[in-house]
Amino acid sequence: MENLIDAFWGVTISIGVSALIFVGANRLFDFVVDRWFVFQAITGAIFGTIFSTLLIGNRLVRGSALLLLVLMVLSFSVLTAIPQLIEKHRTRIFAGLLSGTAVGVITASFLKESLNPQIQTKSFIFTLLISVLVYSLPSAIIKKFRFGGLLFFLAVGCLIGGWLLSEIGNGSKNSTYLLTVVPFALIGLALNVGPKRSLLERNHFQRRTRVGVFLGPALLFVALGLIIPLARTIYLSLHGLKGRKWAGLKNYGEILTNDSSIDLRDWSNIFTSRLFIIALILLAVGSVAGILLGKKRGQIIQASAASLTPSAIGVFLLIFAVLSTLRGTVINNLWWVIVVTSLSTGLGLLAAVLADRIRFESAAKSLIFLPMAISFVGAGIIWKFMYIARPPQKPQTGLLNAIWVGLGKLTPGSAGQFIGVALLLLATAGLVALSIFGIRRKQSGISIGSLFVSVPILWILYRLLGPGLGGVEEGARGLPIAKPILFVQEGPFNNVWLMVVLIWIQTGFAMVILSAAIKAVPGDLIEAARVDGANDRQVFFHVTLPTITPTISVIVTALIVLVMKVFDIVRVMTNGNFGTQVIANEMWQKTFTEFNLGLGSALATVLFLAVVPAMALNVRRMQRSAIQ
Amino acid sequence: MITDTQKSQVLQGTNPVDRVGKFVYRLLKAIPVWALWLLVIVWTIPAGSLFVNSFRTRDAQRSTGWWTSFTEGGWTFDNYINVFSSRQSGGLWQALINSFAIATPATIIPVAIAAMAAYAFAWIPFKGREWLFITIVALMALPNQVALLPLLQLFAGGAHWTIPNTGMVITLFPDLDLAGTTTAVWLTHTAFAMPFAIFLLHNYISSLPKELFEAARIDGADHFTIFWRLVVPLSVPALAAFTIFQFLWTWNDYLVALTMVGGNGASYPATINIASMAGEFGMKEHVLSAGAFVQAGVPLLVFFFLQRYFVRGLLAGSVKS
Repeated sequence: MENLIDAFWGVTISIGVSALIFVGANRLFDFVVDRWFVFQAITGAIFGTIFSTLLIGNRLVRGSALLLLVLMVLSFSVLTAIPQLIEKHRTRIFAGLLSGTAVGVITASFLKESLNPQIQTKSFIFTLLISVLVYSLPSAIIKKFRFGGLLFFLAVGCLIGGWLLSEIGNGSKNSTYLLTVVPFALIGLALNVGPKRSLLERNHFQRRTRVGVFLGPALLFVALGLIIPLARTIYLSLHGLKGRKWAGLKNYGEILTNDSSIDLRDWSNIFTSRLFIIALILLAVGSVAGILLGKKRGQIIQASAASLTPSAIGVFLLIFAVLSTLRGTVINNLWWVIVVTSLSTGLGLLAAVLADRIRFESAAKSLIFLPMAISFVGAGIIWKFMYIARPPQKPQTGLLNAIWVGLGKLTPGSAGQFIGVALLLLATAGLVALSIFGIRRKQSGISIGSLFVSVPILWILYRLLGPGLGGVEEGARGLPIAKPILFVQEGPFNNVWLMVVLIWIQTGFAMVILSAAIKAVPGDLIEAARVDGANDRQVFFHVTLPTITPTISVIVTALIVLVMKVFDIVRVMTNGNFGTQVIANEMWQKTFTEFNLGLGSALATVLFLAVVPAMALNVRRMQRSAIQ
Repeated sequence: MITDTQKSQVLQGTNPVDRVGKFVYRLLKAIPVWALWLLVIVWTIPAGSLFVNSFRTRDAQRSTGWWTSFTEGGWTFDNYINVFSSRQSGGLWQALINSFAIATPATIIPVAIAAMAAYAFAWIPFKGREWLFITIVALMALPNQVALLPLLQLFAGGAHWTIPNTGMVITLFPDLDLAGTTTAVWLTHTAFAMPFAIFLLHNYISSLPKELFEAARIDGADHFTIFWRLVVPLSVPALAAFTIFQFLWTWNDYLVALTMVGGNGASYPATINIASMAGEFGMKEHVLSAGAFVQAGVPLLVFFFLQRYFVRGLLAGSVKS
């Protein structure tokens, strides 16, 4: 309860203060046009507060802090406001000089004795020269040279050369006075050497400050919370364990050469894996179909559903075969990105198309979309229960293993086996009928597609009738023993079972957005296609799909960025054990449990570099839509 | 030509051959619908099974699958009672309060700040507006991981700079000693939310009719008045969409909280709480199933009652209308 009250006060105060600052800043800048000197006075007071707080906060002053604060606020206000009330130019310059000197004297008298600087003449003069150059050169080039600006830069140079580049503590009080009075006097002069601001200038100024008021807080958070940390992470990634000693690219080298991140030793196993062979067969079938169809139409190769589908599945399985054989953190991440992105988008598209204009559409979509509301942690827990594997002697409490072991326990001749065989035969018969229908209609896509689907079904049928399907092995005395799948522990495919969790979540995301895109396809386009005699399939492939392609690319980019940094699911389900480590989890462990700041930051930077292409794509998309 | 009678004969299936053909045709035509509902069932089972499990006794959960309870019984509410007693769950009650303490400011503050920024980007012309906006949109894809360590260091010790050769240390950012507090978590969330919030709200605010602003300007309204009196009331749908999105996101967040709260158990939000219960899988599954549902309860409520806004937020964020 205490926490809640704390949080409540925290929120109330922070919102209140933010609102006050926002309204206050807006009101302050209202003064700019009509009451310039009031604005100047308040700005001066604010600067005085900041300046004295900095001095007090860094413990650089002696004597009463409160007195310093009050004096500073007053003298800064005087410095900025009083000259604004004077009409005569010379008097105004004099007033500025005087009040600047006053500020300097007050500051110097409050500074600690131990801070007295000993001026290094060479470096001091050098700094002054540099500050003059820094101002004069650019301003001369853009032809906006102002004497006041030069004085201001001189003052800054004076402060840097006098305080940062000299030996602190060895000097005398006189040099302290010199090094505070001169810069402030210069600033007082700088503010007043030019002509007074005209009404037009002040209007212009007000418009610019308004942007600052509206954008300021957001930019502050972006800079402090994203940009500066990003720069610091890159900086740390080039340093050692503690983030202090320069290490160059050593951390990156370690990521690239370490066996636990990229392990290519088993590459020769790729060619013997079953997935690889299936992939090759599919690719061969796809290209043969393409060539055969192409011959009929007089092209070398025909890209249609009949040739593209097997080829696409073939390529997917090929990638799968490669990534499941090569091991390591980086490879796992790549595997995650490819599998989750493609399957989530594909299933989402399927669900969106199937659900379009059916009865209870919104209910169906809600149920598929529901996992989006559940946290990654919660989803991990939910699937942990699905994946439970218990010892062979005990009944399986996880649904997937219960089904798997149950299938294996189907004895030949039992009712269960009979029903299974009957259902599979029925499905095969239906698919064969569909394929004949396709041949008669001269729609090669349908016939080849249905034959394809029937191959795995026939294989399952064979397993069911012959060697048996499911998780059972022969135990002692020929009795069957359950052999559950260790979904979470058994590599390398435990990675896939973890990916299923994210696919389960993200399919709903893809579906919702694609569904909206499909509904936004102009009705008259579809109407026109139908009038021309297109059937459902043709309308989908030639009208709907091309129209929603930009949306698909948006989803794919969003998913790549999201999957790249997958963390919660892996941490909750395996914590990177059993060969399921991914970059984000590795980064967290290295940084926050092993305190290897350099390597951890390098891993974070790798994640950042991996999404740079997606960033570039987003920017290009933005620019294109801005032009339109 | 087919006459109307022939047509109706075919449709009504008076002929037995036609009847079978019609049946098969209907069956084939319904395949997509069946496939969809199959997908829906597969998608519902995981969450559904945990939900059923959460009402089963500890012994039932450990010995049989959840589907047996429909025939054998063994229902109980004890898991939900246990999960709120601090001994079993490590204080889920406290964790839920922490989750609120994080998600509320992490939602309200970004909405307010981003709405102002979005208005400036949309309707106040200034130099460099284009590239500044593009930079912020590009940051949308920035992985949070790159900012975690520096932010934690900032919260834990401030930022200091040692001037070379002098040994003098200048404090650039004071040590606020925020590490381990919920404040650190929501401050981080606020920063991380900024790019997406600005992008989403800008999409909406920039599409408001131009005439509105011109009319207000002629009436002498300044930016402050226009923003407060015109833009905020008109953007309520977009603000609501982002609010819901951000609330769900921060409520469900695990990474930021884990990093910023660290070892301070008193500030754990519910996600960390259930994740650590899951770490002891095999001992406390019965509490875990209930705990997971308690944590998911708030987002599920939001989801069921405010789904439309949530979807709108997603759409506005990814598809430019």
